[in-house]
Amino acid sequence: MRAILAELNKTQGIWGSMVVGRDGIVVASDFSIDVQESQIGAIASQILVALDGALKRIKMGEFKRFMIGGSENKLALINVGQTILIVLMRRDVNMGLANVDIKNAMDAVAKNSRM
Amino acid sequence: MWLFDTIGQWRTNSRIHSLEQVLTAKPTPMLYLQLADAHKEAGNQAKATQVLKQGAARYPNAPEIVRRQAEAEKHEREMEIKRLVERIQTHPNPILYARLAELYKADDELSKTIDTCQRGIKAFPKYGGTYLVLGQIFADKKQWSEAAAQLEKSISLDKYNYLALKLLASVYLQLSRPADAVQRLEDILYFAPGDEAILALLKTAKVDVEAQQPVTSLAVPQTKLVAPKSQTRVLVGSPDTGVRHGTSILPKPTHSKVQLFAKGLADLRSVEGVSGAILVDQYGLVISADLDPSLDEGLAGALITNVYRSASNYSVKLGVGQFEEGVIEGQDGNIHIVQFDDMILTLFAKADVKLGLVEKSIRDFAESILQQ
Repeated sequence: MRAILAELNKTQGIWGSMVVGRDGIVVASDFSIDVQESQIGAIASQILVALDGALKRIKMGEFKRFMIGGSENKLALINVGQTILIVLMRRDVNMGLANVDIKNAMDAVAKNSRM
Repeated sequence: MWLFDTIGQWRTNSRIHSLEQVLTAKPTPMLYLQLADAHKEAGNQAKATQVLKQGAARYPNAPEIVRRQAEAEKHEREMEIKRLVERIQTHPNPILYARLAELYKADDELSKTIDTCQRGIKAFPKYGGTYLVLGQIFADKKQWSEAAAQLEKSISLDKYNYLALKLLASVYLQLSRPADAVQRLEDILYFAPGDEAILALLKTAKVDVEAQQPVTSLAVPQTKLVAPKSQTRVLVGSPDTGVRHGTSILPKPTHSKVQLFAKGLADLRSVEGVSGAILVDQYGLVISADLDPSLDEGLAGALITNVYRSASNYSVKLGVGQFEEGVIEGQDGNIHIVQFDDMILTLFAKADVKLGLVEKSIRDFAESILQQ
């Protein structure tokens, strides 16, 4: 799992990434900057619950991804089955490029989770 | 002199850039303070305050940064109070009264808070946010019955008000009415499913209900919050422009801002792949909406505000800084959330919508509103 994240983090503009369980427990992480991983995992899990509920109530189907843009960086929370892939990016990241690599990482995480 | 200023500015900007880089790699409380000072030196007080806020969120036990942040926040509040007082005189609307009252409350100016609420209620009696602030004041003073009365009034006007429902549940617990607290908490879970704070309160309330069982009714009311039929509620406008229509305040169509919001949302809705747009205030109250009839606007506003609250409350801890925008992708559609000018704009779109087009349309809408 760590190797998948390390590969993803080679993408320009990506600060790092992690995989957490739906309960927020960190499965693997790889960041090039100082972050509080367990805190991010716990918050992501909480946000996911709110999102899941909201999407069901307004009939938009299962949650796929939540992209948060802030004054400093961007963060993507991606639903990968029983886990959540979290990617922290620079604010000015090229999203077209990042999306391709995130999709590859997503597939690899999903495959790895099933094994 | 000009050259001297330019060199000074270049030095400050260079220092800011360098501090930002170090801060990203290895943050410390001291670095946050230095960066805030550098922004202040560059004449950007707002950015300095923002940096102090981020630092205090990250290091809540660092005394100097917490003190400086409190000072900066007080200054920010003073400026905002001045702005709101002027706005109320020229362009009154109920949200301004509620926000002004909240600012006075944050400064422990209780008599001013109450006076502002009373003036707001007199001018806009159908706005729930002002009753909420009054309810908070009574709750702070442990005047539980008075708090319950104000909060019940707030909820009667806005049944999806998270803060009012949550506080009312706590007040009911103080009044030994746990069954009523359970009902209010279950109401919240209808639009904020899985909310941990509410689930914890609900657990406490249910324990209290069980403890009361020998002396009171065994039944806990199971009434669920039912989404009302779709309705248009527009809250912006002077008191004289509002006419009662069911539970709504519908301003006369001549009001320029109302027309501007409505036209802006209609324009957004006309973008290919966009199925609806809604503008809500910070309490989740709908300011204007143009949604598919199958989607109840009150419920949509509450759900979005709940997601927004979750994301914005934690955005600093997530490492993104202050929340600006979010895109939620579901299997059958996307939701775009953008914060601007104390409002939250939300767009509902099909899964295959062109994101670039949506973002451009949102920017155009925001510019047209902010220019007014």
